[in-house]
Amino acid sequence: MTATAPAPAAGLSRRLPRTRSFLERLLTRVGGRLIARCEELGDLTLLAARAAKSVATKGIEVSVTVEQFMQLIVRSAPLLLMAAGSIGAVMALQFGLGMSRFGGKLYVPTVVAVSMVRALGPVFTCLLLAGRVGAGIAAEIGGMTVGQQVDALKTLGSDPIHKLVVPRLLVLIVGTPLLTLLADVVGILGGLAAGVCSLGISSSLYIQKSVAAVKLEDIVVGTGKTVIYGFFIGLIACHLGLQKIEGTKGIGVAATRAVVAGSIFVMLADLVITKLSWILRW
Amino acid sequence: MDAPIVEFRGLETRFGRREIHKGIDLSVRKGEVLTLLGGSGTGKSTLMRMLVGLETPSAGKILFEGQDLTDLDDAAWAGVRRKVSYAYQSGALFDSLTVQENLAYPLEEHSSLSEAEIEAKVMALLGRFGMGDTAQLMPANLSGGMQKRVGLMRAVVMDPDLVLYDEPTAGLDPANGRKIERIIEDLRASGKTAVLVTHDTWLARRVSDRLAIIVDGRIAALQTRGEFETAPAPPLKAYFDGEID
Repeated sequence: MTATAPAPAAGLSRRLPRTRSFLERLLTRVGGRLIARCEELGDLTLLAARAAKSVATKGIEVSVTVEQFMQLIVRSAPLLLMAAGSIGAVMALQFGLGMSRFGGKLYVPTVVAVSMVRALGPVFTCLLLAGRVGAGIAAEIGGMTVGQQVDALKTLGSDPIHKLVVPRLLVLIVGTPLLTLLADVVGILGGLAAGVCSLGISSSLYIQKSVAAVKLEDIVVGTGKTVIYGFFIGLIACHLGLQKIEGTKGIGVAATRAVVAGSIFVMLADLVITKLSWILRW
Repeated sequence: MDAPIVEFRGLETRFGRREIHKGIDLSVRKGEVLTLLGGSGTGKSTLMRMLVGLETPSAGKILFEGQDLTDLDDAAWAGVRRKVSYAYQSGALFDSLTVQENLAYPLEEHSSLSEAEIEAKVMALLGRFGMGDTAQLMPANLSGGMQKRVGLMRAVVMDPDLVLYDEPTAGLDPANGRKIERIIEDLRASGKTAVLVTHDTWLARRVSDRLAIIVDGRIAALQTRGEFETAPAPPLKAYFDGEID
């Protein structure tokens, strides 16, 4: 009797801690991740505020900014233009083949031009920059963090935000819309080439229809939103590079996270801005 | 040499749940070289990083020339960092600048010297430490020992009141280790106050005025070099005998 009586209670007590521990584990994991993301958002906001304060109080380092412009924007141009031209041509071919069945081939210039200027040009430019430039910034600053160069900047009395973050952010704020405009033009030219060579549309008609299709507000909305995307691609990459990084593996992780986070930001933000522009009829 | 330039009072440091310092009381006297010893992860470098604002203690005070460093704003730190310099374990040279530009950097940022004066000062420093022919080289073209020597030179180019040496001979061959040792001795002879963190017992015996050892988050022993040579305190003796890692 004394041997069997405690058995159910012991069984219950064995189950209860297991249930509690599973819930605890779940809450700890979900809560922990949520808190970590909130902290990261706070860090990003703080970094942006410190960068703005740095520009206001210390101005801009022109030579470093120009050097970064060459590095981040000018050197990104060949790859971006190749991609933009190819996207424009593929779009023209796809639409042309589909629409020619209904006699709508002449709508191709309009569709290609508007799509490039309002959506594809900005998004492809920013996704490409999130990959090439975001990874580059996170790896470069991450390497400096690991090599104690960021600490050295601080102890030599310089502000790493002013020296490293501000030039890159400024370059991306100014350079991203410029690259986007260039990508729009080259994309439309790619469509023109495909339209003329494969669809038999005359070049003068193609250009005339493209120019007529694109309105000023399309260009303003399309390139204007890339100012925000460029800023956040740079901010995320700088933030990840300045984190406590251990070893070369940490540099790789920071670069990968910069690409992933930057790309996700661009896609989600574009969705929101596109929806907003529909609602507000921009 | 008796007036303290730095004082740690009841210093405690925690990283998450890990307790690094459990009450450090230590002072650094003006003009001396104080060597901090201890096993790996005992917080020797962390103590030095606190002197330049790269880490913050959880409790206690750090006084530099009587000024409490635990509650400073950015502007006040800028003033302290002009007087305290840090020679990093890796050298931490800016890899996009030449040796000459690395050495000129602090002068360009914080002095009113002309370009010609800066160049003259940098070349004189390089010449003094036998590295005049490396001025135009990039850090990537230097050996590890040379990078550390340039790092040391960059740390003293602004003529600071206190120099912090973080593992200056780690990973170097004996010849390069001796070159670093000569630089530290040279600076000591010129009256420069320094804190040295090292695992190199040879270097510690050669250049230190006093030796301190951290065990279990506290200063377990503090002796002058003379006291250590005649009657070493048990924790220091254990460290030098390789019984503490």
